[in-house]
Amino acid sequence: MSSPLSAPSAAPASRPRPSRAPAGVRVRPQERGWAPYAFLSPYLLLTSVFFFVPFLDAIGLAFFETNGPRTRVFVGLANFHFLFTDSTFYRALWNTTVFACASVFVQLPLSMGLAILLNSSKGRLRGMLRLVLFSPNLVGQIFVGILFSTLFTPRYGLINRAFHALFGWGLEVWWLSNPWLVMPALVLTSLWVWVGFNMVYFLAALQGVDRSLEEAARIDGASEWQVFRFVTLPSMRHVTVFVVVTSVIGSYQLFELPLALLHSTEGAGPENSGLTLITYLNNVAFHLGDLGLGSAVGWIAALIIFFVSMIQIRVSRVLED
Amino acid sequence: MVEKFPYGKAPFWLLAIALASVAGRWLVMGHGDARADLLIVANSPSHFEAYKNAVPRFERKHGVHVEVQFAHWTALQSRLESAMLAGADVPDLVELLEGSLGFFTRGPREDVGLLDLADRVEAEGFDRRLVASRLSSWSTVDGRIYALPNDVHPVMLAYRRDLVAQLGIDVTKLDTWDAFVEAGRRVTRDVDGDGVVDHYMIDLPYDGNWALTSLLLQHGGQLFDRAGNIAFNSDITTEVFAWYLRQTHGPRKIAYDAGWGQALGKAMVDGLVVFYWAPDWRSRFFADEVPSLAGHMALMPLPAWDKGGRRTSVWGGTGLMISRRTPRPDLAWELAKFLYFDPTEMGKRFEATNIIPVLRDAWTMPELDAPNPYYSNEPIGRMYADLAPDVPPSYVSPLTAVAGTELDEAFSRCVSYYERFGEEGLTDAIHRELSRAEAYVQRLAERANWMARAP
Amino acid sequence: MNPTRLVVFAALAVFAALCARSPGRTLIYLRFLLLGLAATVVLAPFAWLLAAIFKDRTVFDEYLFLPPPAEWSSRTLNLDNFRELFRGRPSVHGTAYFWQYVLNSTAYATVSTVLNLFFCSLAGFALAKYDFRGKAALLVLMLGSMTIPSALLLPPLYNMVVDLGMVDSLTGLIVPGMVSAYGIFLFRQACMSVPDEMLDAGRIDGCSEIAIYFRLVMPLVRPMAAAFCLMTFLGTWNSFFTPNVFLQTQKNFTLPIVLYMYVNDYQSNYGVFLAGTALAMLPPMVLFLALEKEFISGLTSGAVKG
Repeated sequence: MSSPLSAPSAAPASRPRPSRAPAGVRVRPQERGWAPYAFLSPYLLLTSVFFFVPFLDAIGLAFFETNGPRTRVFVGLANFHFLFTDSTFYRALWNTTVFACASVFVQLPLSMGLAILLNSSKGRLRGMLRLVLFSPNLVGQIFVGILFSTLFTPRYGLINRAFHALFGWGLEVWWLSNPWLVMPALVLTSLWVWVGFNMVYFLAALQGVDRSLEEAARIDGASEWQVFRFVTLPSMRHVTVFVVVTSVIGSYQLFELPLALLHSTEGAGPENSGLTLITYLNNVAFHLGDLGLGSAVGWIAALIIFFVSMIQIRVSRVLED
Repeated sequence: MVEKFPYGKAPFWLLAIALASVAGRWLVMGHGDARADLLIVANSPSHFEAYKNAVPRFERKHGVHVEVQFAHWTALQSRLESAMLAGADVPDLVELLEGSLGFFTRGPREDVGLLDLADRVEAEGFDRRLVASRLSSWSTVDGRIYALPNDVHPVMLAYRRDLVAQLGIDVTKLDTWDAFVEAGRRVTRDVDGDGVVDHYMIDLPYDGNWALTSLLLQHGGQLFDRAGNIAFNSDITTEVFAWYLRQTHGPRKIAYDAGWGQALGKAMVDGLVVFYWAPDWRSRFFADEVPSLAGHMALMPLPAWDKGGRRTSVWGGTGLMISRRTPRPDLAWELAKFLYFDPTEMGKRFEATNIIPVLRDAWTMPELDAPNPYYSNEPIGRMYADLAPDVPPSYVSPLTAVAGTELDEAFSRCVSYYERFGEEGLTDAIHRELSRAEAYVQRLAERANWMARAP
Repeated sequence: MNPTRLVVFAALAVFAALCARSPGRTLIYLRFLLLGLAATVVLAPFAWLLAAIFKDRTVFDEYLFLPPPAEWSSRTLNLDNFRELFRGRPSVHGTAYFWQYVLNSTAYATVSTVLNLFFCSLAGFALAKYDFRGKAALLVLMLGSMTIPSALLLPPLYNMVVDLGMVDSLTGLIVPGMVSAYGIFLFRQACMSVPDEMLDAGRIDGCSEIAIYFRLVMPLVRPMAAAFCLMTFLGTWNSFFTPNVFLQTQKNFTLPIVLYMYVNDYQSNYGVFLAGTALAMLPPMVLFLALEKEFISGLTSGAVKG
């Protein structure tokens, strides 16, 4: 890290001196002029073209019925009326909500637990284990889904064979053809992908906890569990809220994983047991070409996400007090 | 140099790879082969082979270069439609699967990426020269014809001749389904007392599937009528559903689900099932998969629903569409006619696949009368051709796929009902399920702003 | 008593013995046991995949992982899956080869990453080190834009890309995604820790603003740049939804699209698409191993300090 003042210079006399700033006086940031605008202009330009315009378009698109990108006809609220009377849409909504609950109440405790376990480990071992447990997240959702669709094969797949080898049953369980087992299979797969990911966040948060506070609590006679519940956990508040919010938002956008896992039914699963909100959007908008109905679904998804995020931020504020 | 890169080592190498891969793509993609005069895509491996072999003759005759490609249907359908709507490059001719036309014609007429062939068909008299009912699968309610039918696919029953003789069945008396069921009940029982039924009369899938549709069409039922209205909530469908439930799930059922592949072959060889649903293409399938039964099999027309009624049905089909944006529509039309109607090609195809031509003029060809050794030297081509004019139409709509799914689900619910309550209230239950399915499809029909209406 | 149960019982026996010997360290041994279990569960699918891609299809279902060494031969273990994967297959636009898809994915991922790096770091630097009119409002807007799910914008974006004639090309994929608000925030965070004095000194020395960016600031935020590159690369290499919608013809497909297609095509020969999947997993793994530390710190910097 070398100071620019020590950088080799050409003939000093030929370098122009900023006329407004005598040497040694700090230049006020306001006088940067065009620079920030220029630096931000690519972002501003791209966002206005490829974000704001589609955003505004999306507001209107939901009130049209389209056949592909070029043809559209105004239908008013008919799209929403259709969605609210469509049993398939409700199934998708239900499935996605169940998955979101599972990811908060099953996945996050596991991530937290692993983070706690890993926190007490020494440096090198911790680094290695963190790498191992995080690695599934590197693989794209599509690839994970493809891999696990073969692991869930009855009789020959890894999962059934493991159950059979350990417990003596489960060889012929048809995970992906049984409507009741599709969601558990999906949840199991998502655990494999995301437990390590959230664990990394929790681990970083744990390492940022003030040790002296914990020590003080222990000296005061608190048990380990009490230390954890009343000192450690509250100081991880921010990260926990962040992880919960991102988990729920991610759950409501789940698409590629069930699509690949249930590829034989294009993501829907037997009796639509694996259909998620975004899979429904994809089928409607891009298989059937009705981008208007797809936009309507997208709006409902966005509103749900917004709603849930607001609730959680509220809850976290309440927890804070 | 790497160290002086402002962003660091990894970004430097990423930039290097980015530049290299872009250059690589440009080099590779930029110089493709010159586009052929015509590009045709087949959706089945056997068609692909047949067309590849046929095309050189066409190329020589017209002095052009034709490229034949193959693509799986599942990947092809949706991509083809979105490519047509988005204006991307589309092949000149594509083979479509039976029932899929509606998917491409669901939008307004301007959006349909297929060339309307009605004028050419009428001008060259194909509406009379082809089995007319086959055109129904490739036409829309407003009278446009969007693809050329490839086949007729009349259905007969294939049976084990030796078994039939052994069990004392007189196939000439099986002219109605009632007679067939009666004979079936005598046959379907446990002969040797080991607790397991030894012979089932007929092979039918337990979940309905293709057989249900085929039987429905034979009986005069339809998913949609000629004007595009929903037609499956009818007494005919109810009758077919009830009949099918009894034969596949009832206490005196006569059907067994032999499935496909190895299981089916075994059922045939063991004599577990006597009669099999045999459209022309499937008759060849049996001959190829179970050669050991050569000389022991035979074919008979389907029993009719009513005395004197239709003795055949239909199962499957392919059509050839021409893209509306092809630069050479006339040449494409010539290629379509060549591949589908050229006499030499049709003769070769019959010999390779047992599939009879959809062009009536071609039924004079001698290959059809050839005795088929697998089927006890019967002239099966002639037998199928005799039934071909009776093949029922199958009207298609943009909602065909949805209706099919709903009908399957309705049948599955009827199976649950039947297994719990049997005959009691069965007709009403079937009515209920069909009405529910109809309501679902009706909702979608009301939404569909561009569904072509009958003039 | 099969081998699996044998291993499990042995592990439990060792555990019990260790606990009996030094009861005070029970929790520590328990920790190792649980972490070991977690690591096994996580690694098992990878191990299975690695074994599966080399197994011949005739013995694929016979052995869970690899056949015992006694059975190793070119009949049971070979590269047939890869051979089939790289074989040219007839497609609508002529023969298509697997390496073409690899090239498409590579171009898409690397170009996206590099462009994102430039634009996000530039904007992040501007937001960190400059004051200007509308800065607060812009920050709020950017934050808000991050809450919109991308699936909502996909239909109208698709319309737009079709109208611009960029559909069915990598350009259409890359251009709309060239900059992200999330990346800008990350770089803003990183740039804020660059001391102001250094920038002033540079200005006094006569550096233009852009030179300050390139020569002073960027070298200092290299860890974040590395982390961001990895994040963006992962996101674009593995992305399926948008490319699947935008790309129409097979010659332009990226790896996720192709492998999803292959799952249906090779239902009787899993080894082929599994081999493709394994190959597709390699570049992210390699990049991750190289940039692990920076990645973890960059990933958590947004959450922990926030």
